[in-house]
Amino acid sequence: MSVFSQSFSPCGRFLAAGNNYGEIAIFSLSAALSPDATDLSQKPILTFTAHEGPVFALLSTDTHLLSAGNGEISAWSWVELTKRSTKAVWTRRPNYKSSLEIPEINAMIINPKDNSLIVGGGDNNIHIMDMETGTFKSVLQGHTDYIHCLALKEREGEILSGGEDGAVRIWDSRTRQAVHCIEVFKYEECARPQFGKWISCLATDSDWMRKLLVFLSWGGPDESQFHHNIFAVGEGPHVSHCLLGGSVKAQIPCTSPSLNTLALNLSSTEHRVMTAAGSSDKIDVFTNFSYRAFSLSF
Amino acid sequence: MSSDTLKKRKAKVIRSDGGTPETKRGRGEGDQGRFPAGVSNVDQKKLLSVKNKEVRVYNEEVELEGRDPEQDYVLYKSTCDSLAKLMAEIQELKANGAKEGSEEVEEKLRQGCVHFITLKKLNRLAHMRLKKGRDQTHEAKQKVDVLHLQLQNLLYEVMHLQKEIGKCLEFKSQHEEIELVSVDDFLRDAPAEISRPHLTKDDPHQLTLARLDWELEQRKRLAEQYKSSLCSKEKILKGIELKKEYLGSLQPGLHAIMQASLPVQEYLSMPFERVQKQAEVARHLPPPLYVLFVQANAYGQACDKNLSVSISGDVDEAKALSRPPEDSQDDESDSDAEEEQQNTKRRRATVGVQLDDKRKEMLKRHPLSLCIDLKCKDGSVLHLFFYYLMNLNILTVKTKVSASADLSGAVSAGELLNSESLLNCLYASDHGQETPNPANRYQFDKVGIITFADYVSQLGHPYNWVQCLGGLQFSSDRPQAEGACSSLSASHMEATMKLLRGRLQSRLALHKQFGSLEHSIVPVSSECQHLFPAKVVSRLARWTMMSHQDFLELHFVQHVAKAGLVKETDLFFMAIVERGTARLQAAVVLNPRYPEITPLFSLSLLWKGERSGRSDDNLRAMESEVNVFRSELQGPRPGLQLLTNQIQRLCVCLDVYLETESQVCDGSEGPREFPREKMCLRTARGPNRLKPFKYNHPQGFFSHR
Repeated sequence: MSVFSQSFSPCGRFLAAGNNYGEIAIFSLSAALSPDATDLSQKPILTFTAHEGPVFALLSTDTHLLSAGNGEISAWSWVELTKRSTKAVWTRRPNYKSSLEIPEINAMIINPKDNSLIVGGGDNNIHIMDMETGTFKSVLQGHTDYIHCLALKEREGEILSGGEDGAVRIWDSRTRQAVHCIEVFKYEECARPQFGKWISCLATDSDWMRKLLVFLSWGGPDESQFHHNIFAVGEGPHVSHCLLGGSVKAQIPCTSPSLNTLALNLSSTEHRVMTAAGSSDKIDVFTNFSYRAFSLSF
Repeated sequence: MSSDTLKKRKAKVIRSDGGTPETKRGRGEGDQGRFPAGVSNVDQKKLLSVKNKEVRVYNEEVELEGRDPEQDYVLYKSTCDSLAKLMAEIQELKANGAKEGSEEVEEKLRQGCVHFITLKKLNRLAHMRLKKGRDQTHEAKQKVDVLHLQLQNLLYEVMHLQKEIGKCLEFKSQHEEIELVSVDDFLRDAPAEISRPHLTKDDPHQLTLARLDWELEQRKRLAEQYKSSLCSKEKILKGIELKKEYLGSLQPGLHAIMQASLPVQEYLSMPFERVQKQAEVARHLPPPLYVLFVQANAYGQACDKNLSVSISGDVDEAKALSRPPEDSQDDESDSDAEEEQQNTKRRRATVGVQLDDKRKEMLKRHPLSLCIDLKCKDGSVLHLFFYYLMNLNILTVKTKVSASADLSGAVSAGELLNSESLLNCLYASDHGQETPNPANRYQFDKVGIITFADYVSQLGHPYNWVQCLGGLQFSSDRPQAEGACSSLSASHMEATMKLLRGRLQSRLALHKQFGSLEHSIVPVSSECQHLFPAKVVSRLARWTMMSHQDFLELHFVQHVAKAGLVKETDLFFMAIVERGTARLQAAVVLNPRYPEITPLFSLSLLWKGERSGRSDDNLRAMESEVNVFRSELQGPRPGLQLLTNQIQRLCVCLDVYLETESQVCDGSEGPREFPREKMCLRTARGPNRLKPFKYNHPQGFFSHR
């Protein structure tokens, strides 16, 4: 089993994780973090099959959990999920041209300004869906290989996408046009030929107006940033603490041999944890960034 | 006495009176004229003479009656006084000087003499009175004695009579011991001349007699009947003897006919003779083997023509075992005595040897064993030999395979058909190393056997399914989920036979496949060609067997061991697939229940560094591609191609892996080592950029799952 995606609930008390079998598991953080937690509280309170293919992306809105499977997006009500009801609120499919293989959806983000869902996946295109009507408004084409990750610069209204082709494209969300294209591998100081040119993950810091932080993870797919510290996870069994300059401050060991996803629970003050998961069924929970506290079991 | 007294009186009378010769008479007969018989002749003469002369008779006895003893006493007293007075006077006179012979003195003397005579008479009278008194007393006494005697006699007679009466009363006549029918029955049943009711109604004596008569008559009648029935019994017995002889003479004749009919039976394939013989021998089988025999025969006849059952072993020994114990007890006591004698002569066997003997005794097998042969379609036969351990009450099995094809040539297949492990885990976790009977634990403790596993190679494997086939069921340590079935053997027979056949076939198939694998050829049958592309470049370089220890030492299999998927009973192999400079090591865990349980592959790739399924997501995907999709890979039923298809798929996946690997590793430009030949829609997908390992037939391209 590999865990590919995580998302915290809007109240911050639950964690949703998606794996390569298309299953989503809901964990109760409050139970797992309470003083009298047992082994049972580290198991999910609910596991259900959401999609046929792997669940590569999970996203939480204020009320719903959005999950992406093989070419489809489903929405689940958080309230219903905590009551263990597994009926999807809606399921939408972006318009794919090719019918030979259904492309996966690798990344989803929400643009709060115009309440739209932006998804990118295996068909090299970015689809934008209106959350209210559920129609796919537009398609942003430009990448030559599939899209790994998406990021949003809210102030400027810009969408950033990184793909397998090694390019980071910046799109204007209003005009739906490509503004910029940065091919990172072409810059000598950023090139990492031994690892490949693909961009696995993007994150932005909205404080910095013009700077964007781009990471090729050295084999690693995810990262997160917190107070100017950058936490990255990738191929090795550790979470790396890095500085903006690029130096690695620390590497915290984890249970999975390689990690796919990292998430920070920012929406809750009492359950402020960082979780990391990858190519095993264990989701490591860090209450303190320096060490692993315990593991949830999918 | 009377004559003496008479003589004395006579003398006295003559002397004192001196006058008339008087005779005195005897006693008491004064009145009568008769003479007592005891008188002497002289007296008689005198008496006679006297009688004639009218003699006066002086009878003192008569006088005695007339005198009064009181007066005589007074007379006596006075006489004594006067005599005393006289004496005193004489004395006085003599004192006064009177001379001798003086008149006075003489007078006094004469008077004194008279007094003396009086005294004498008185004395006589006293004596006579005394005598008389005595005589009277004597007479009375005699009378009393006579009466007393009579009384005694009568008393004795009374006693005697009483005893006799008592005896008579106690007398138990024999007739009372005879049980008679009750009075009512008697009166009802007996004919009138015997019962004579008019007589017997009142007289119990007659009644009893009548009853006895009746009894006698009845008994006579019954005795007659008894004799007659004895005679008839004798006759019947004789008749039986005759018939027995006749039947005995039939037996050899029948036997001859049966022998003659053997060829006919063979020709018609109805082997009655053989079946009967087997049934004969089967009678001596111990119960579990018998159950197994019957069930296997039944199953063979009903469902499976390729199953045959036969019994082998020593029938005589088996008969000896089932002989009744009395004989053996006698033998034992004799032999004990002999043994003791022998033991005193030579040293007793050591404790170790004794323990050894006890162990051998405990592990003894029944002399008869069952052999079941399972023939497969290709002609190979699985021979199963079933033994029964008598003291432990368990069945064990030994196997032998006679394959139709030559089995040599596959080194790695050595373990496959090893009779020790051929039937391992026929049902899950049935290892056959420990005895399934919990009671044996206590028996083993007594003779110091630690585990049964030491003796398994010699005695056979006590698998649980063998016990079930023999109808033996033991409670296990863990509580069973289902209850015990009554027809244990029958319910297991079909399933077990199928499993056994399947096991043999799969092992033989594997054997053949291994032979080919060792020559680096992956045999893929025509039915499974569609699973793989036409061109597979990676080739199997090596296929070897590993031991359990070696397997556990490999670093890339630890996850399998941790998940508990590896057991000692599994078989372990190493496959090495090579292409160019890349070398893929695959460690294979083959469960004995192949192909029910998929072989488990763990991969490690040596190409520009070492990667394993733990570190490389793509190798993990390859592992899952090979391990998980059994339904695709097992091929046509019964799925014996699973392993070879898995290996072929592994080669295909390696091809895809190597060809889709981007050439960026050491920065070297130049031609790729592995040119892209496989058709893939996309070479990477998803956050971890998995390669397309799924082959699509007939389009021939690779896609992601």
